[in-house]
Amino acid sequence: MSTLLDVRDLTVRFAMPRKGLFGPRPWLEAVRKVSFSLEKGHALGIVGESGSGKTTTAMAAIRLTEAAGGQVLFEGDDLLSLSDEQMRAHRRDVQLIFQDPYSSLNPRARVADIVREPLDLMDIGTPDDRRARVEELFKLVGLRPDQLNLFPHQFSGGQRQRISIARALTTNPKLLVCDEPVSALDVAIQAQILNLLAKLKSELGLSYLFISHDLGVVRHVCDDVAVMYLGQIVEHASRTALFESPQHPYTQALLSAAPSLARRKSKGYVRPLKISGDPPSPINPPPGCAFAERCPRARDICRKTPPVLEDRGPGRVACHVPGPADA
Amino acid sequence: MSALLAIEDLRVTFNTRYGQVTALDGVSLHVNAGETLGVVGESGCGKSITALATMGLIPMPPGRIAGGSIRLEGEELVGAAPARMRGLRGADIAMIFQEPMTSLNPVFTVGAQIAEAIMLHQKVSPDQAFKDAIALLDRVGIPSPDARARDYPHQLSGGMRQRVMIAMAVSCRPKVLIADEPTTALDVTVQAQIFDLLNEIQRDFGAAIILITHDMGAISEMADRVAVMYAGRVIEEAQADDVLDFPQHPYARGLIDCIPALGREDHALREIPGVVPPLHLLGAGCAFADRCEHTNARCKTEKPLLAAHGHHPAACHAVEEGRI
Repeated sequence: MSTLLDVRDLTVRFAMPRKGLFGPRPWLEAVRKVSFSLEKGHALGIVGESGSGKTTTAMAAIRLTEAAGGQVLFEGDDLLSLSDEQMRAHRRDVQLIFQDPYSSLNPRARVADIVREPLDLMDIGTPDDRRARVEELFKLVGLRPDQLNLFPHQFSGGQRQRISIARALTTNPKLLVCDEPVSALDVAIQAQILNLLAKLKSELGLSYLFISHDLGVVRHVCDDVAVMYLGQIVEHASRTALFESPQHPYTQALLSAAPSLARRKSKGYVRPLKISGDPPSPINPPPGCAFAERCPRARDICRKTPPVLEDRGPGRVACHVPGPADA
Repeated sequence: MSALLAIEDLRVTFNTRYGQVTALDGVSLHVNAGETLGVVGESGCGKSITALATMGLIPMPPGRIAGGSIRLEGEELVGAAPARMRGLRGADIAMIFQEPMTSLNPVFTVGAQIAEAIMLHQKVSPDQAFKDAIALLDRVGIPSPDARARDYPHQLSGGMRQRVMIAMAVSCRPKVLIADEPTTALDVTVQAQIFDLLNEIQRDFGAAIILITHDMGAISEMADRVAVMYAGRVIEEAQADDVLDFPQHPYARGLIDCIPALGREDHALREIPGVVPPLHLLGAGCAFADRCEHTNARCKTEKPLLAAHGHHPAACHAVEEGRI
């Protein structure tokens, strides 16, 4: 198994407006020293609440957001230190699917042109090759060739997401970043897209960086899962380990919050693990563990010293008091 | 025992540029005090229109209630005087909407908005109403409610805003609380908090809750009884466990098999092909026929009626004929 993407100590900071003319500029650390790696042909899920830095991490890893520090090794090359022109050449290996299939397709372009555009931009193949490639992709994602000349508004949400996927696949990428690819779709349509993504992964050997807030979706698609909280990974493990025996109290809380068909009101289900409140502000993060304020297991040390992401059993956990939920 | 809220054979039509379309085609639902009815279906199935009709909030025109009745404790709401509906709305029937930010007025403090709802229906002084509003904010679990009552909606997080909406909705102890996708815009942790809060409020006030959602996981945790809607009709209705464990209608089966929900990991995701047909293109037959693998000639020509053929009531010829 070879490593496709190796992210080391990735940090992203955003400048905030100064308080007053000469005040110090406050910084918001959206991603704080995040490290993970992704094997070829694997799917890594990044889950967390809104504002936890999932999307920023992925965007910084493919250099669509500027990183303040760290390294991103893509097949050994550090993407963050490449020149713009070298990065452009690497773009064909890394493609992206967005959440909203309505705003991510140009409403004035015919879908064949939308799907062909990456080939035009990177000057790949002859016009005939490109046309053939677009038709091939249409078939691959489950669209008909007679739909090539339609406009995006003539398609349903699920079909538009198929067009986005076709466009992302045009250049034969190795890594596909999926940013909440099904959360804007109706439940019945989600399954169509998830099955398509699973098929493409096994047929084309694609790797996914899969961002989602829906644990059910992540469990279905991903081989490994990283849980983020306030810009840091708090737990990272294989799918089985993370869902069967989560070690971090935040992961446990997320799992207990996610709706499950196994929990029935008729059986008198009461949520055992409740977390209250909202995450702290990333502008002025607490000195200790970011989750301490909401954590049922917090001790003194949690409020003073930030825990480090350490190998523990099958995965990595950043917690002073890790362990099963009932401990 | 007669139901607290009973909707019978409700028909709602809209005039559109495609002509008149039937958004609700004979919907019958009921909910008892202290009970939670889950209404589930994809977008465009008529879930929200049912809720709006109950609240007397269908825009007329272009909408029109073409038939049927909505009875709250025996009182007919279809055709009730606008003044009477204003008296009921917010007092006896309250609603929580999907997007709390657009349902709150950005230029008033949340305390003032809750107090306004209280003063509309109860004879209390403004001071007392504001105090009640603070007590309600405390009740729905907002920390330091005194200070938060003086905040504007944009100063609160999404979860807090939805709590404010709930505080407003329960301010007059409604008999029926309609929650239209109350957690769609929220994180799962916040969603869990809101669900727990709705359950607590139901225990305390004994309100009937109609929970509109597309999430079968939410149905499993929240609902006592479930109605599955498709293209303006109720196509299956039963106790939550019956629908979740023994879905009858192919659409209900599909809805359960197509979600990658936690609690049933070991199955392959089954797709429901196609999309909900536009209402103006509905033919004479079953609206689901084009997406269904059990369709026969009868399905294309005759609308199935909701009746108990199998385990519990479903509107499907294939179930009736014992083909599935």
